[in-house]
Formats: sequence, structure tokens, C-alpha cells
Amino acid sequence: MRGRRKLTVLALGAVGLAAALTAAAFVAPDRAAAAAPTYLPADPAQVIATVPARDPAEVTARQALAAAPDRVELAVELARGDIERYHALSDPRYLGRAQATLDRWWHLAEPPADVLLLRATIEQAIHQFPEARADLDQLIRLRPDDAQAQLTRAVVATITADYAAARDSCRAIARLATPIATPIVVATCEAPLDAIAGKADEAYARLSRLVGAARAGDAGVRGWALTQLAELAAMRGDTDAAAAHLGAALALDPEDAYARNLLADILMATGHTADASRLLAGREQIDSHLVRRAIAEHDLHGADAGKLVAAMRDRIAAAAERGDRIHLREEARFALAVELDAARAVGLARDNWRVQKELADARLLAETAVAAHDRDAAAPVIAWARTTGVRDAALDRLLSRLDRADRVEAAR
Amino acid sequence: MRAVIAAAIATCVGLAAAPAWAHKPSDAHLRLAVDGDTITGRLDVAVRDLDGALGLDGDGNGEITWAELSAAAPQIAAYVDHRLTLGADGAPCTRRLGPGAIAELSDGAYWAMPVSASCAHPPRALDIAYSLLFDIDSMHRGLAHVAGQTTILRDARPVHIALDQTTSTVAFVKEGVWHIWMGIDHILFLSCLILPAVFQRRTRRWAAADSLRDVCKEVFEIVTAFTLAHSTTLVISAIGLVALPSRFVETAIALSVAAAALNNLLRTVDARWAVAFALGLLHGFGFSSVLIDLGLPSHELIGALLGFNLGVELGQAAIVIALVPVLYWIRRTLAYQALLWAGSAGVAILAMLWSYQRYLA
Repeated sequence: MRGRRKLTVLALGAVGLAAALTAAAFVAPDRAAAAAPTYLPADPAQVIATVPARDPAEVTARQALAAAPDRVELAVELARGDIERYHALSDPRYLGRAQATLDRWWHLAEPPADVLLLRATIEQAIHQFPEARADLDQLIRLRPDDAQAQLTRAVVATITADYAAARDSCRAIARLATPIATPIVVATCEAPLDAIAGKADEAYARLSRLVGAARAGDAGVRGWALTQLAELAAMRGDTDAAAAHLGAALALDPEDAYARNLLADILMATGHTADASRLLAGREQIDSHLVRRAIAEHDLHGADAGKLVAAMRDRIAAAAERGDRIHLREEARFALAVELDAARAVGLARDNWRVQKELADARLLAETAVAAHDRDAAAPVIAWARTTGVRDAALDRLLSRLDRADRVEAAR
Repeated sequence: MRAVIAAAIATCVGLAAAPAWAHKPSDAHLRLAVDGDTITGRLDVAVRDLDGALGLDGDGNGEITWAELSAAAPQIAAYVDHRLTLGADGAPCTRRLGPGAIAELSDGAYWAMPVSASCAHPPRALDIAYSLLFDIDSMHRGLAHVAGQTTILRDARPVHIALDQTTSTVAFVKEGVWHIWMGIDHILFLSCLILPAVFQRRTRRWAAADSLRDVCKEVFEIVTAFTLAHSTTLVISAIGLVALPSRFVETAIALSVAAAALNNLLRTVDARWAVAFALGLLHGFGFSSVLIDLGLPSHELIGALLGFNLGVELGQAAIVIALVPVLYWIRRTLAYQALLWAGSAGVAILAMLWSYQRYLA
């Protein structure tokens, strides 16, 4: 009997070794070298790719621009169309197209004001926040009454933790007499600033009053306000209210990826992982949805888990291959929850914190630091929480865990 | 922060750091392999990108059909022709494009065109000047995969890629493993020799082996003899000391497989390590013809030979290590007897058919 067991072990070991040797020989050299197989379709009517239907006005404008490449107003109009397409389809390709259309002015130190706004918008979308900020500051010197420029500046300044500048821009909007500058826009602009200053309760009361009063209003503004309201509710620990606000925002615009992600995060945090996965199902072409669904299915040991995890690994590899580093947030979450590599996750979260400093980024860095038992890594977040006075249910829990671990360490 | 406000605010120019970096930005893949003074490979460009550059969607309905795409093939070839040049150490190579076909990648359909080029001499470094799509998409990237490294082409400026010699040794290791795995005749030859190792002659009759140790010892002798033999002939023919016609070598290899199988049925030669050595000499000539087909670079002959031989040994070791425990496990069963007799008979017949075919070829 013993001999048989020994033999089984030997046989299994041998098969394993053989597989490892073969795998090493095949995989080690270069994975990227494998090219996909090719084919020729038999049916001439087979659809190979879908693109936005051709817009005759765009074609005319492109031809006019080709004939007179100096006409900046045509370039601006075309670039704006591509940025709209980017927002509608969540396809980053159109950002590159918008930039190419503006190429003649893109590298100028002082491009025309309209180009500055579009350049800042594109830079912001690819997380080049300092560049976006510089362009917006320059634009506001040229056009202090540009509500859109002020609003974009408030957003960028909030992301990069320059709260004084963000507050200035929100107040500037409040003083403008344009139709954009409604009280609800101003309140939504200021909500994250109040929240980070530890006044989430007041901000929540103010914004929910305005949202309740303005039942009609612009759907886009309303959706934005509802999402901010949900963030405030979550900070106060009222996850039910947060979920209800996000449900309302998604009813207004089902394509609102930000609201959908936030709702999925809340569902996962409150143990409704299967609901989170269902919420994101079929929307995996968007990386931020894919990463959350992969984590959810991984936790549930779902049937799709393997496929989703593989797809996310592929996207991370593809982004790395072309030298992109705008996935830091997603990558850190994935490393922590799926790859169970806390050390790597905390490194990514730290890199991400250098780029953007929203509450979600703070939670991420604290969470990865807890997992990696690396209190030093969380030092920037601890300092940030101390200077701002931010109160957030989830962040407070994480930071107190770090504190406890620290005291245990000290007691030894 | 958010994107949605964009639509709300006047011009629709979006504000936000839309957190959803969806789909993939535009990439094209240029895979190249250098083989002596010729370069071969493939260029894959997204069909959507080609539409942006050339307007493939003839009827403008947003759907690019195969009819539209295939009609635009000459136009695509002309576009690429103007925007891709290859060179060797500063001197241009003559580049040709093959007929395109479709490749499905994770983010949609790509138009894949075979690329080949002939250079004045074997390149030490490759020059790539690539200027596709940058004028319509500033975030487009060309990803050049050459000799195991990926170079990101960010703009139209030419890049210079030094060809690393060591990676080519690694590539030959891979070729070696491939060859032993894909070359069914080598596997069958070795398997036939190993098959009776778990069933040994004892004084007069044959019986199942008692100890795995004895079996391993015998298998080790056989594999070592085979390795020594084929390594020897691989080296002497790869460096050109002996050249045999490939039809003769291929036919002889097939006959050697038949011989090994027949030996299991007839039990003529008991010392199978000797069979492994004698006939293994033929297999080395077969390996060397593969190596020569791969375009054995003269300046890295040693690395390529070592790498290829190492690959062959690795591939062979993997097979043996997987096979021996299984055979030992089943050595007393009917299944083993069936495998030994019917399997050997089947291989003998198959190998004789091969040798006939190869002789005629």
C-alpha cells in the first residue's frame, strides 16, 4: 500500500514537472509574440466592425478644415464632436482623435481660448491633472466669466486636493449670471469640498433640500447632484440612502458609469455582492465595471470568475504594453482583491495617490496599507485626514485599524 | 469626479475625469522576426482605425462589412506602403506587403497584413519608421514586437532596435521543444523504445518489472544513448561536415520508427539502448534540417545549436517523465499488454507507410 502511494506521488510529481518544463519553454520567451490566427469571411455582408454612423456635417467640416487647416473654429467644432463621442461611447480612441484635430495648436504655449478648454478637458480625461490645471488657470485669466472653465477647474482642483482653488471656482460660478449657474450647480460644486472639510452633514442637508425642490431641472445636473448626494450619504454611513440616490441617478441615465460604479461599491461593501455583479453584467467593456465585476464574481466563486479575471489581466497587460498608467486605481483594487498581492496593491495605491486625491483614493491607500501591514504607506492619507478634518465612515474604520496595529506594535 | 455634467453644461464639452477608461485606445501591432538578411512578420491594424484614416464605411451606416473592407484592401495597402519602412543598420531594406486577412483581437477586428523585407546583409539592429494613424489619433501607438522585446512607437520618428543575441538562443530552445513535440516520429521512436522497459526479461521469460528504480535506470540508459547519438549528428551536419539529402534522412527516420516498433514485437535486440544509439544517429540529421530551415545564423551558430539541442532534450525529458510512471502503473494490466502489442504493431504499420510516402516524395 505504501509503495502504491509513493508511486502515485511520484507519478503526479513527474507529470507536474513535465508540464512545468513544457510550459516554461513555451511561455518564458515572449507571450506577446503569439499573433492571433487570421481568416477571410465567406459572406460579403458580414459586419466586421461597427463605427459611429457617418455625420454629413462632420464630413463637410473635415473637408473644409483640410482645405484651410488654419481655421481654428472648425478644428474646435470637430474636436468637440469627438469628445462628445468619447463621453457617449466611453471609447478613449475619440480623445486621441480630438487631440489630433487640434494638433496645429496643441503644442502652443498660448493657444486660442477654445483650444485651451478642450486641451484641459482631454488632459483631465487622461489624468494629466497638473497640465489641465495650468491650462484652466490660463483660460480663466483670459475669460474669467467662463462657467464651464470654472467648473472644470473646480473639479480638477478638488481631485488634486487644492481645496482653496476649488472653492474659488465654485464661488466664481455662483457670481455668474449665466443660466448654468443655478444654486444646485453651485451646491454640487461645493459638496465634496464641504464633505472633505468634515461638514458632510450640513452639505447633505443643503444639497438634498435643493435636489428635492428642483424636481424638473436639467437631467444631467440632477444626476450629478444625486451622485454627490450619494457620496455624502455614504460618508455619513447611511448606505441605504446612498443606494437610493444612485438608483435615482441611474434611472435618469443608465449609461452613468460613475454612479453605477459607486452603487456597485456600496453593494459590495454591504455584502450584496451578487447584486453588484448583476448591476455590472454585460458592461464589461468598461474597465472600471470589469474590475468590479471580476472582484465580485471572484468573491462569489461564480461561473464567470475565471473569464473575467483573465479579461482584466489582459487589459492591465495591454495598458502596460503601450505604456499607459491611468489604470492605477483599478489595478490596485484588482491586485488586492483578486491577486491577493497586498504589497503590489499598496505600491499602486501609493502611485495613484500621487496623481489623484479623492476620498476613494484615500480609502484605497488606507485599505491596501492595512492589508500589507504597512502603516508608513498610509502616512500621506493620515496626514491628509488630519489637515482636512474629513469624516468618512469607511476611512475612519481603516485608519483606526492602522492605529490599533501601531499600538500593538508599540506595546511589544 | 464626474462626467455627466458635461451634457448639462452648455456645449457638452465634458468635464470630467470620467473614471471609466473604457475599451482600449488605438494600438497597432507590428511583429517581426529577423532571419539572416530577411525580415518576416505581420502588421495588425484595427479596422476601426483604418476607417478613421480611409473611410472604409462606404455607405456611412456605421457598419463596415466584409465587402466594404475587401474592396478597400488595395487602398489600405497603399496607405501602409507609404507609412512603413524597414531598414538594417541604417540601410533601407526592400519591403513587401502580403494580402491582408482578418484577425480578431480582444477589442475587435484587425486587418492583418504579412510583412516581409530583404536587406543587404543580416541586420544587427532594425530600423523602423512607422507613421500610420498618428495624424488622425494622437494617442495611437504602434507596438513593435521584435526578438522578444516590445518597442512603443509614439510618433513618426524612426526607432532603432538592437537585436539581442541571447533572446535568439532562447527562441531556438523553444523551436527545439516545438520540434520534438510536433515531430511525431521522434516521440513514437522514443516511446517504442521505452514501452518494454517496465516488462523485463528474467532468465527465460518476460515479466513485469519489480522496482521502479530498475525501470528508471533502463530508461535513463536509452534516453542518454539517444541524446548522445542525435546530438552528435546534429552538430556535425549543422556545421556542414556531413550533408545528407533530406528525402533519404526522412525515409530513414520513418524506417527507424518501424524498426523500434518491430523490435517490440519480435524481441530481436534486447539491448534497446544500442538501438537508441544506432538509429538515434539518423534523428540528429532530421533535427539539423529543421535548424537549417529556420535560417541558422552563422554568427550565432553555437548559441542556436545549444539552444535548439537543449529544447529538444527538454521536450524529450517532459515526454519521458510523463510516460514512465504511467507505464509502471499499468504494467501488470491488460491495458499495458494491449498497448505493447497492438500499439507497437500499429506504429510499425504507420511508420512503414510513412517511409513509403517519404521515399516517393
